[in-house]
Amino acid sequence: MSDTKSGPGYPVPQPYPFEDAPTWPSKVGTPLQPAHPLHSCLGLNSCKGQDRYGAAGPPDGPNPNVPNACAGQGYCSTTADHTCHVLNDCKNQGGCGLYGNAEELNHPGLNACKSLGSCATPINAERFTTTGPNQGKSVWARAREVFEQNWPEIRKNIPDAPEQLGPAPEPFTETGPPYLWISDDNEERGNMTACGASGLSGAGGCS
Amino acid sequence: MSNGSDPLTPLTPSEREMVAELEQLGREEILQQLKDNLQTAIYIELATIPIYLFTYYSINRTATTGEQLDAASRYGNKAGGVIMSVAVEEMLHMSLSSNVLYSLGVQPELYLHSPDPYPTPLPYHNPVGPPGPDGDRKVLIPLSRLGYEQFWHFLQIEYPEKVDAWPEDRDWNTIGQFYSYIRCLISCRQITDEDFQVHGKGTQIQSGNYSVNNVDTLYPDQAFDPWGLPPPVPNDYASGCPAAAVSEYTNKADSHAGAAELITVNSKLTALQAIDTICDQGEGFQHQATDDPSHAEFSHYYKFLRLQAQLERYPDHVEDLAPLPVPPDPILPTVTDAELSEVVASFPDNPRTGSYPENLQALSNLCNGVYQYMLIMTETIFRVPPEEQKLFFNQGMHFSMIWILDKLIQNMRGFELDDGSGNVLAPTFENYDLGPRSDAYASLQALAAAITDPAQKSAIGYIITRINELPDVSPYWDDAC
Repeated sequence: MSDTKSGPGYPVPQPYPFEDAPTWPSKVGTPLQPAHPLHSCLGLNSCKGQDRYGAAGPPDGPNPNVPNACAGQGYCSTTADHTCHVLNDCKNQGGCGLYGNAEELNHPGLNACKSLGSCATPINAERFTTTGPNQGKSVWARAREVFEQNWPEIRKNIPDAPEQLGPAPEPFTETGPPYLWISDDNEERGNMTACGASGLSGAGGCS
Repeated sequence: MSNGSDPLTPLTPSEREMVAELEQLGREEILQQLKDNLQTAIYIELATIPIYLFTYYSINRTATTGEQLDAASRYGNKAGGVIMSVAVEEMLHMSLSSNVLYSLGVQPELYLHSPDPYPTPLPYHNPVGPPGPDGDRKVLIPLSRLGYEQFWHFLQIEYPEKVDAWPEDRDWNTIGQFYSYIRCLISCRQITDEDFQVHGKGTQIQSGNYSVNNVDTLYPDQAFDPWGLPPPVPNDYASGCPAAAVSEYTNKADSHAGAAELITVNSKLTALQAIDTICDQGEGFQHQATDDPSHAEFSHYYKFLRLQAQLERYPDHVEDLAPLPVPPDPILPTVTDAELSEVVASFPDNPRTGSYPENLQALSNLCNGVYQYMLIMTETIFRVPPEEQKLFFNQGMHFSMIWILDKLIQNMRGFELDDGSGNVLAPTFENYDLGPRSDAYASLQALAAAITDPAQKSAIGYIITRINELPDVSPYWDDAC
């Protein structure tokens, strides 16, 4: 257990606050609806079964082996992970917050294409925006807000999409995914990195 | 956050006098002087960037971090954030001067025009200035690691002009006086809005390519908890101390004249706004310590002076500081030289590739090649179709700055020089000749392929992959040298 370790990040909170949540999925599983838009983080999926656990559902947690039930209720991104601005491979892959202009950073998860996205995915809950209208505030909360605002337009292209988004899954409904969960209680810090030299990204440094 | 901007600075009495003198000249001479001085302005802005970056990269910003942040790292991280905040504004200034020049019909030149060798004078700068910490009056700026003396050289660059100073385009004493001369040229009645419409706004560097802050211009004001739980309610930081709660933002959104920080130019007004932004950010708004109406952002001069004022030698300083803005009292907590050494890499002063051990010269050449290729890509922006500019900027400029040059230099400083000095490999920012611009991409790839040492290849292999992914500029320069 982590409580015997010392160094940055230790001791970890006791008991581990996300014991009831499923283990963070380090790989993208096969989605139920493969044709649907990729997305950059927890709570931003546009249909049932579309999240990182895919058709198999999470291996553990409160509902093992049950895929998420609704748009907005997925656990994590379906885009390939990347560490920062312009390193994204596709549309909607930009996590945002750290590098980019004010307009880009105010629309996390809505970039148009490869190399036009900002910052790492997934969007860890600690990440904040460095410039623009959302400066100093949570990137994930802004991403969810942008997703909700754009949902009426997004759902036009998705057969049987619900009118209302479901809430993001517990216990991350309000915050997005914390680094403590992504890193499996600080044990797997390589699960994600984010950019910048100031040490303020809320995740491990990138290269 | 204010959405305002700086009001356009009216001409001073000295500037009005200079305009009257200049208007005695013919229109063509005024126009040619304007073009020549704008290209010089671009060279001056370009000269500052490697100087600031060299010192920036001498800092280990995260020697300790998060909840373990100690006094030395707190200062080092702050110095890094502040220096980077100035460096990005110098890039902004270079872009603004380039847009003004380009609007007049002239392609800005950058490639092979970086200062070389160091220590260097700035173009047309008066070589004699106020005495520094050692009494020396020479204005020669070195590449040097973070330290008390280097801050003096930064202050020499950003030294503020006196109230109603005489405009100067040769032997200028302050950058403000140099730009004041340009402002006078633009203000001459012979110069018209149409002069700034030779090259349209569409192919100038667009506003969206500049960001006021990024994660590198921030610094933590105190220790924080990067590993713990986020606040249960987003943006409510009362319950804990995450990074967001302790971050200081070095640049402010209202420290510019005109519609945005990076503006395009098609008139005398927009040209004057571009020049105003440059002057206010560098020296201060109306001779104050700050550069904006909200008084939220310090000028470059005052940012550096405040960093110097925290060092232990400052209380006894003998350097000749400008009377306005009034120098700050010593800032606490005092940082000692010993503490500084904990966060500063042993960069040699004014290094040159030829002075490095032979086995490390290929790495230094590659770094210089990347630097020069970045300058070519900046020149190329003006040739890229407007609808492709953002993608070119992201895949070229941003990618090379953050994901290639930054990481390359960080890796380089892991190689110790085998000369008994204890120094490490630092960037030299030389004018490495990549050949004609149409051949530069191939030349850069050849420099990457020349890294054959296994330890070096292992360290920077992923960076070489990125270099080979940069956009090839040759199609844009088929018809030019």
